[in-house]
Amino acid sequence: MAEMWISMGPQHPMTHGLWTLKVKVDGETVIDTEPDLGYIHRAVEKIAELRDFTKFTTYCDRLCYASANTWSHAYIYAVENLLEVEVPERAEYIRLVAVEIQRIASHLMWLGAYCPDVGNLTAFVWCLREREMMLDLLQELGGSRLHYNFPRVGGVKRDLPIGFAQRCRTKINLFLNRIQEYEAMLDESTVFLVRTQGVGYAKPEEMVNHGVTGPNVRAGGINYDVRWAHPYSVYDEVDWEPSVEKPSIKGADCYDRYRVRVEEMQQSARMVLDALDKMPGGADTHHQHGDEAILAKAPLRAPEGTSGFHHFEDSRGESMFYIVGGGEQRGKFPYRNSIRSPMFITIPYASKCMIGYKVADIPAIMGSFDPCIGETDR
Amino acid sequence: MAEGDWLDIRGWVEALSFAIADNTVGMSRFWRQKGTTADILTELIMAVVVFGLIMTTMLVLLWIERKFFARIMDRRGATMAMRSLWVGEGGEHVDWYGLLPFGTGAPFRWLNRWLNKVAGSDHEVESVARVRDRSYHGIWWMLPGFFQNIADAVKFLTKEWMVPTKADKVVFEVAPFIIISSTIMLFAFIPLGPHVWSANPDLSLLFLMAIFGIAPLGVFFAGWSSNNKYTLIGGIRSAAQLTAYEIPLLVTVLAVAVLSGSMNIIEIVEFQMDMDGWTLFLLPLGAALFLITMIAEVERIPFDMPEAEAELVEGWWTEYGGLRWGLLFMAEYLRAYAACLLFAIFFLGGWEPFGGNLVAQYTAFIPGIAWLLIKSWLMFAVFVWVRASLHRVRTDQILEFGWRWLLPLSLVNLGIAVWLRLGVWQGDTWSPLVIGLITTIAIALFVLLAIDEDPTALEGRERPYSVHVKAGPAGPGTHKK
Repeated sequence: MAEMWISMGPQHPMTHGLWTLKVKVDGETVIDTEPDLGYIHRAVEKIAELRDFTKFTTYCDRLCYASANTWSHAYIYAVENLLEVEVPERAEYIRLVAVEIQRIASHLMWLGAYCPDVGNLTAFVWCLREREMMLDLLQELGGSRLHYNFPRVGGVKRDLPIGFAQRCRTKINLFLNRIQEYEAMLDESTVFLVRTQGVGYAKPEEMVNHGVTGPNVRAGGINYDVRWAHPYSVYDEVDWEPSVEKPSIKGADCYDRYRVRVEEMQQSARMVLDALDKMPGGADTHHQHGDEAILAKAPLRAPEGTSGFHHFEDSRGESMFYIVGGGEQRGKFPYRNSIRSPMFITIPYASKCMIGYKVADIPAIMGSFDPCIGETDR
Repeated sequence: MAEGDWLDIRGWVEALSFAIADNTVGMSRFWRQKGTTADILTELIMAVVVFGLIMTTMLVLLWIERKFFARIMDRRGATMAMRSLWVGEGGEHVDWYGLLPFGTGAPFRWLNRWLNKVAGSDHEVESVARVRDRSYHGIWWMLPGFFQNIADAVKFLTKEWMVPTKADKVVFEVAPFIIISSTIMLFAFIPLGPHVWSANPDLSLLFLMAIFGIAPLGVFFAGWSSNNKYTLIGGIRSAAQLTAYEIPLLVTVLAVAVLSGSMNIIEIVEFQMDMDGWTLFLLPLGAALFLITMIAEVERIPFDMPEAEAELVEGWWTEYGGLRWGLLFMAEYLRAYAACLLFAIFFLGGWEPFGGNLVAQYTAFIPGIAWLLIKSWLMFAVFVWVRASLHRVRTDQILEFGWRWLLPLSLVNLGIAVWLRLGVWQGDTWSPLVIGLITTIAIALFVLLAIDEDPTALEGRERPYSVHVKAGPAGPGTHKK
């Protein structure tokens, strides 16, 4: 067959969002790719310049609907760095619980979306079943199902509800048992292995040079987890270890990227259980709104010339916020808010990863990098 | 047993046709054509009867696909539920029966209360309870979702039929007819029972396999004529896949014919009934090969590359809509149904009752067609099971699998069949030792192959390319532990 360009997207089952992947194929073989991003650019950074610090949290939630809590927390940490706020330790623990539950939910959404990419719908429904439990927990914390608006500058919106710790432990333990079902379904299935092993090799040094972060680079054997390398919050006090795969000499394949996320879900669950045990004041106490045990006083204005920065281990990589204070001229508004999205860097690299593989491998490779277009286009 | 059962549909239809022919053509001056007329009439009526039986029993197939699949997926919601029509969600509902005069709505209220009691939400995990509230957990006999097929058919009927502007319109229109008509033609040669068949040529097996191979041609036409890159790739994949499974399939069927000593499907069943056993126990390898190649033939997961929805949207289906799509979908299920019926006929003894001659006198009141349909539905449950638990393979992988495994194994299977027929067959019966020996070997092999997973592999994450390692601390941060 002659060579031809196929435009996969903006509406295509492979894309997991709104973008286009132009693929040049020779028969079934992919010989060139070209990602085309920017369909849902919302000028979030510009919006940030016209909102005060508290009002922008909801926009951070909407950067990635699958992983809302991690994004709003990343922003809040940057603001606290800018305003030099001391956060109560209990609030840090509550934040850790919220973020790690969100990470489990996000990875479950990824696993659920990945299995139809390689042709199985059963694991998709199983994953969404477990994700529903996680969303219930987050709903108890934040009040809504997807966009929680949970963190506050200086603390969290509200304390753990009464009985949350017990329900959380039940569900996390149930989830840890259910992971064995996935492993029976996926790891022990030869068809899944032949579809993922040896497919979509990504070389570790190339990934580092491109700036790929998160589970994708840890699948390549690079032990770079921001929570571990530069511990923020209370990540150096709870019991966990980063999940890193040792890839082959050719690089990390789709199976590595699958494994690293399953491991990370288990580590997150371990972290949540440990954080509930170590919670200062006990996980069963409940403070009122605005209690100083969960919410510290924070200034509303940042002086001119000051800047706040935080890099945060998002579900998909290292997200960064860089905020420059506005001073008197801008009032409560920041002068500039710059967002670094991990997937914006990963997607072009992932597109190049699939050259030389078959058309059927396109969703398998692209899906294994866990693209999220909301944060990519911002 | 080989004579048949009391449900002599063909005999009744013949008697009816002869009566009709006697009283119409027999009275006229064309009375010499009386017998021919009766034969033609018989064939026509039997064709309609078989077609109607197939079409109505196919609803069971769709129902199995929905329900069994949804159960495996642990799915709660629309596929499992029709109860929300009655009781609403979360126990809240429009109290429409309270508006009925003179308390005539009371039975509905009782039914509602009872349904809430039986299938209400009381699970410890509230998300499970919340969605379970909308489903028929535990009430299997209400056949929830059975009539969804009729709703789907009405939907297809009312949808618009669109042809892409730059499609090759003639080929685009002809392709579905090639697929659908060849699929329906299959059932002319598949007997549903000892007396329920519409045509029975001596070489019906050969005819059947030839017709099975027509539909991929229509698929290729459809893929090419739609003028769409996805459909084109889907059509070409279908043609490429054809070369991988068609030859092993034919060789496997040939082994069955060799063993039975006949190319006639009814005689294949009668062979099994005479020896009072299933071919499955003589050719277990052949049964496995037939199952795999038939799944590829009917293009279901894991071999549904021509319609891989992840990368090809819907493959060669993409541009078809409305009733054409519905008919194509029906044709796909009909092909799956034909595959199940053929598996039951070739390997599960056809309309032979479970238990064979041992219990024949007690099961004589059950007609043969019931046994065959039950066997084929069970086979379809296996198809659904495979679909629910496996992933989709790639085109190059099925080609490799077909040529490197299926074809040599099918030749081995043919050799076994020839050896059994020439060396072991005693003319009318089998030595029980043979069946026992082969079954034991097959079960032992199956168990050995089924437990190939190394339990340590999951713990140690060992695999050829990647070995999991414990991560040590890295970077400038210090870990307190």
